[in-house]
Amino acid sequence: MAVTLPVTPAPLNTDFCGLTLNSPIVLLSGCVGFGEEYTRVDGFSNADVGAVVLKGTTRESRLGNQPHRVYETPAGMLNAIGLQNPGMDRVVDHILPGLDFAETRFFANVCGSTIDDYAAVTKRFDDSPIDAIEINISCPNIKQGGVSFGNYPDMSAKVVAACRAQTSKPIIAKLSPNQTDIQENARLCIEAGADALAVINTVMGMAIDTENRRPVIGNVRGGLSGPAIKPIALLKVHQVYEIAGPRNIPIIGQGGIVSARDAIEFLLAGATTVGVGTALFYDPMACKKINTGLADYLKVRQLQSVSQLVGALQL
Amino acid sequence: MAVADIEDRIAHAQRHRSSIFLEDAELVSVEKFPAEQFIMRLRAPRCAERASPGSFVHIQCSEQIPMRRPLSIMRASKNDGWIEVLFKSLGEGLRALGSAEIGDVFSIIGPIGKGFVPDQQRPNTVLIGGGVGIPPMVFLAESMQSEDFDWNPIVLMGSEIPFPFDAAESKIPCDWLNADINHTMPLLDRWNVPARLASLAGFDGCFNGYVTDLSKMYLESLTEEQRQQTELYACGPTIMLQAVAKLAEGYSIPAQVSLEEYMACAVGGCAGCTVEIQSDDGPTMQRVCVDGPVFEASRVVF
Ligand SMILES: Cc1cc2nc3c(=O)[nH]c(=O)nc-3n(C[C@H](O)[C@H](O)[C@H](O)COP(=O)(O)O)c2cc1C
Ligand code: FES
Repeated sequence: MAVTLPVTPAPLNTDFCGLTLNSPIVLLSGCVGFGEEYTRVDGFSNADVGAVVLKGTTRESRLGNQPHRVYETPAGMLNAIGLQNPGMDRVVDHILPGLDFAETRFFANVCGSTIDDYAAVTKRFDDSPIDAIEINISCPNIKQGGVSFGNYPDMSAKVVAACRAQTSKPIIAKLSPNQTDIQENARLCIEAGADALAVINTVMGMAIDTENRRPVIGNVRGGLSGPAIKPIALLKVHQVYEIAGPRNIPIIGQGGIVSARDAIEFLLAGATTVGVGTALFYDPMACKKINTGLADYLKVRQLQSVSQLVGALQL
Repeated sequence: MAVADIEDRIAHAQRHRSSIFLEDAELVSVEKFPAEQFIMRLRAPRCAERASPGSFVHIQCSEQIPMRRPLSIMRASKNDGWIEVLFKSLGEGLRALGSAEIGDVFSIIGPIGKGFVPDQQRPNTVLIGGGVGIPPMVFLAESMQSEDFDWNPIVLMGSEIPFPFDAAESKIPCDWLNADINHTMPLLDRWNVPARLASLAGFDGCFNGYVTDLSKMYLESLTEEQRQQTELYACGPTIMLQAVAKLAEGYSIPAQVSLEEYMACAVGGCAGCTVEIQSDDGPTMQRVCVDGPVFEASRVVF
């Protein structure tokens, strides 16, 4: 694959699982389709971010949930898409060949109803140009699988181990905030072979229409994202870093990041890279602004690299 | 895969790049109508340049309500660089937009979506708009009128609240209708497009019934040969679109309908806005924002 020319300031270069990213920003799964959708917007470029995580992909195609699937709530939104995707074969055979890996890195996001499903999808991506594989054990919006694995540390570890056996590409375990002991979950996922952790997926929530007395979201419950969950996400990253930091396992910190300041908070809490999802819906140019803000912050403090901020929280 | 093959695939996947513009649109004029309905003109030259009937903008109504709202484009002037939208200030976002003042600036992205695709084999076009579904019909009528091709449009609009314009008597006769059903949107008269209004609310000069019943009367007045050169275009509440789909099916006439759904990204990224569409290969969930908002009525699973 072609080598990426750095389009963002060099201090933003970030090492992640042996991959050099040209920015610590990662576009989050489910917010940018299969990588090309946002390039419809003039001025948006995948080259502004270190990596793009593709939509959650399953063994067979899935139609997803009934409408409504998205709804704005104070300082955030609910979604229950239900993992609509065309299935792993179509993604690998038809979508990946259309992606320009010279612009950024692309990560897969893998989901399933059984451990066997997770392993099969991971195997399919192993034989593809994908740069890393994120194991989504935290999707709250499907009836089987997803968060029903991710909320139990033992089950999470089993899924990670099964995927680990299928690939030598970097594996990222995406953790759920909807569980009692995220530290235990992080530890077991690392022991099962995860190379990185994504913290956090959406927080489960609900909205009700008082006119018709029905849930707004077709699936009744949905995942809350956006600034509303930022304080929750920051604490979870801080907690997971206590486990992951000493083991040199990087974290993709995420949940409500809309500005450079938000991104810096996550880096200080222990994230090596920062995820941006819902913020794109507010402002498709959010990543350019975050890159600029990060570079300015480093410059003012005479820091050479964004990595100097990682876990630099003063306690 | 060979390098040339990969380049081909990338080029294909990237064909839609840079087709939507992010602009800071200044509010240049507002008209307020009863029942909290507004027509706003916004300066947005890049969006205006590429807007087409059926396309929409995704607008941030206020900084406190950062998720955007989709609004159909009602008119666009390439030359003067503006677009017009019509909305009823329902919900928090649009209520905030309704309280805007001249000179206020809103972030918009647009134009978005696959609009109406008129078929020259069917020059008789029936444009059916219901309530806040009126805007794309106005846009379609204006664009048909300005094209060199000899379209023969008629616009039929329905509303149960006062129309979002000052309805007035039309100078264009509709001999298939009782002469006292004679009110229209004056703008359409100016463009020389025949139009009639329907409502159950008893407004002056309006057909007393649903707009789809009025549409049926019009179709009944045509000969079979004329009907074979007719197509329906519609935007409005789901039950109206359902009735349009049924009407079209009954006469074996094609219909294109513009759908609505809650949206997050509006650029195809989140799959939040999907509707069920019957494809040749079975049921699919398609995105209203970029696969639509206009779909073939016969394929929509209502
Ligand atoms: C519309 C939507 C769809 C999502 N789909 C997925 C998905 O398929 N897989 C996944 O792991 N996370 C998914 N997520 C979660 C995001 O990747 C991210 O973890 C979460 O939204 C928190 O970040 P944010 O506040 O910046 O959006 C989705 C989020 C949204 C808003
Ligand atoms: S609103 Fe995101 S895909 Fe249509």
